Amino acid sequence: MAEIDLIILVCAGLTLASVFTSVVAFRAGAPLLLLFLCIGLLAGRDGLGGIVLTDRPSAFLIASAALAVILFDSGFHTSLKSYRQAAAPAITLATLGVVLTAGLLALPAHFLLGFDWPVSLLLSTSLSSTDAAALFFLLRVGGITIRDRVRSTLEVESGTNDPVAACLALTLVGVVAGQHGQGLAAVAVDLARQMGGGVLFGLIGGMAMVLVVNRVKLEAGLYPVVVMGLAIAVYAMTNLLGGSGFLAAYLAGLVAGNARLQSAGSLRRFQDGITWLAQIGMFVTLGLLARPSQFPAIALPSALLAAALIFLARPIAVFCCLAPFRFGTRERFFIAWVGLRGAVSLLLALVPVLGGVPGSDVIFEISFLVVLVSLAVQGWTVRPLARWLGLIVPEKTGLVERVEVDLPGLADREMVTYQLHPESAIAHGRPLPRWARPLLLHREGTVQYSPRRLQAGDRIYLLATPSQLPLLDKLFGKMKDEGATEASLYGDFAIGPDATLKALRESYGLPIGEEEETGTIGEIFRREYHSDLEIGDRLHLGPIDLIVRDMQEGRILSVGIALEPEEKPLAGWEKFKARLIAAIGLPEG
Amino acid sequence: MEIVDLISPESVVPNLRATSKKQALQELARRAAELTGLHERAIFDVLLERERLGTTGVGNGIAIPHGKLSNLPRLYGLFARLEKPIGFDSIDEQPVDLIFLLLAPESAGADHLKALARVSRLLRDKTVCEKLRGTDSAEGLYALLTESPASRAA
Repeated sequence: MAEIDLIILVCAGLTLASVFTSVVAFRAGAPLLLLFLCIGLLAGRDGLGGIVLTDRPSAFLIASAALAVILFDSGFHTSLKSYRQAAAPAITLATLGVVLTAGLLALPAHFLLGFDWPVSLLLSTSLSSTDAAALFFLLRVGGITIRDRVRSTLEVESGTNDPVAACLALTLVGVVAGQHGQGLAAVAVDLARQMGGGVLFGLIGGMAMVLVVNRVKLEAGLYPVVVMGLAIAVYAMTNLLGGSGFLAAYLAGLVAGNARLQSAGSLRRFQDGITWLAQIGMFVTLGLLARPSQFPAIALPSALLAAALIFLARPIAVFCCLAPFRFGTRERFFIAWVGLRGAVSLLLALVPVLGGVPGSDVIFEISFLVVLVSLAVQGWTVRPLARWLGLIVPEKTGLVERVEVDLPGLADREMVTYQLHPESAIAHGRPLPRWARPLLLHREGTVQYSPRRLQAGDRIYLLATPSQLPLLDKLFGKMKDEGATEASLYGDFAIGPDATLKALRESYGLPIGEEEETGTIGEIFRREYHSDLEIGDRLHLGPIDLIVRDMQEGRILSVGIALEPEEKPLAGWEKFKARLIAAIGLPEG
Repeated sequence: MEIVDLISPESVVPNLRATSKKQALQELARRAAELTGLHERAIFDVLLERERLGTTGVGNGIAIPHGKLSNLPRLYGLFARLEKPIGFDSIDEQPVDLIFLLLAPESAGADHLKALARVSRLLRDKTVCEKLRGTDSAEGLYALLTESPASRAA
């Protein structure tokens, strides 16, 4: 019995150690997942802990279940809006991009490192997918807001490409292990079955979840458990039936997360916790599995491969895939750089090992090192890079103190409570719209029902639909500061969307031709961007830029005029480019 | 394009009195007419025309009304510090107490934009605005406005 207790204690201890060190790491801006991985390494057989984990199938089991949970959660948190916004480029990246990356990375693995083709391909495939878990961490937990289209593209790509890479890896292992008739047709059929099955069972599973949560009457605390159980069941069932379980788990999350769910708030909170636990469990387990004593022997090939991945394969794949889509060079550059590798790569690297592919032991160790490098190099530089490239959007509103409470039986409304900020619009005397009137307020120990007058510091309670929340944030939260960063992102002056181009031309003497002079600014933006218009989008108009400053429900509310659009924070890049051109002796342009 | 090319000590008003946006623009148009020799009404109309496109109240108590006039020989700036802040329909809905008026000849084109950008950049600097608010002589304001960015940084 003592042995079992010891094992439990070790597991709990590792979890707690991960949690507490994360507090320190967060301050230092270190990628948390890298930390969890290192804790696993430290506790492992070559580290201080000396824990020997040789049971690869068990480790694979733990990591797979954890990954199913994580992918489900990432689907759950991806809004269909970002899917619509970024579906085409993201899915191109997730499919063609994965294949391209895997193909390109196999070349250095074979020719430079001298692995035979099967091992090279398995290695490059395991390293071909951007890790959703790692990326979501950076983009969400990092507390920065990246421009919508870039963030959506990365989120949807990373969520969708894990299953694609997994399909590819499983199929490859099948080929190498000789289960297929080696024919390309058999591979294609297998791939199609995995993807098709994943999509089908994922959608069905997600809808079943919505039905269960909204229709079946259960103890309130059981709903999150039921959802998590169903998610893992969807994953396993799909795998058993020959589909891609990871894809199914992700899609089930997407369906459930975007449906109107009863007690969505408590589901979210439960999943947040479970997902953290899954992240820690997965990374620590994979860390335990690695053998750092072997690292020196493979350090050089791993470093070469990591460099090939970060500087060649991923950028080439990204630039190819995004060529037909409208992205700025800086946005492409950012997307290329943020191809973080993570747990999925390690998990996929285990597949050939478990599948008994000859010479595959080294795949896991090399993948492990490449992931370490990727998490450290890319993870650490994402935030400064985003800032440097000017892709961070200032927060729309200042600090909001908001707590959401689920109402039993009401799927589309929730009770929201705010603490009225002293520097909020309402506290500054802006009129309170009818729909934003609180049900009750709590002020210095007294409670008032349907109050009319609010003052700073009041805690107010109201019923709201999720779509009203951003507006409420604007009313009750701290007003945003129109600072210098705002001006550089949103322009020097604001004009209405109904101003005509003709009027603008006359006011500013813009050198634009007569034939372009039809319509209002709002219409011209629509013509250029159609329905995927978003805040921060720009139109070049001779020497100035027009920028969408504010939107509501798809309508433009305000447009900014940037007088000096060429003065972007990328001066360093221009200088670097000029120096590069001078050094190589290329003609300018 | 520097601020010193736009304003002279005579075009700085340390204590403009106005109770509304319209009154402030009228008063500024009157002073600009004295400086440039153009019609007060013509200047006022041009400023009002621009405000119709969208407010020139850029937030943080700053407004930069501007416009183009056909028979102006060069760019003219006029800076006013208001005695009492007034409503200006600003984008942050805060009252305005510092106004920089900029008038440009019809042919100015790029120079107009450059000058506007220069003024906008200057007044985005919060420490500059604090100093302007704390100074009540025309000479002091003129010195602050025309201080070169390099000497300000030092």
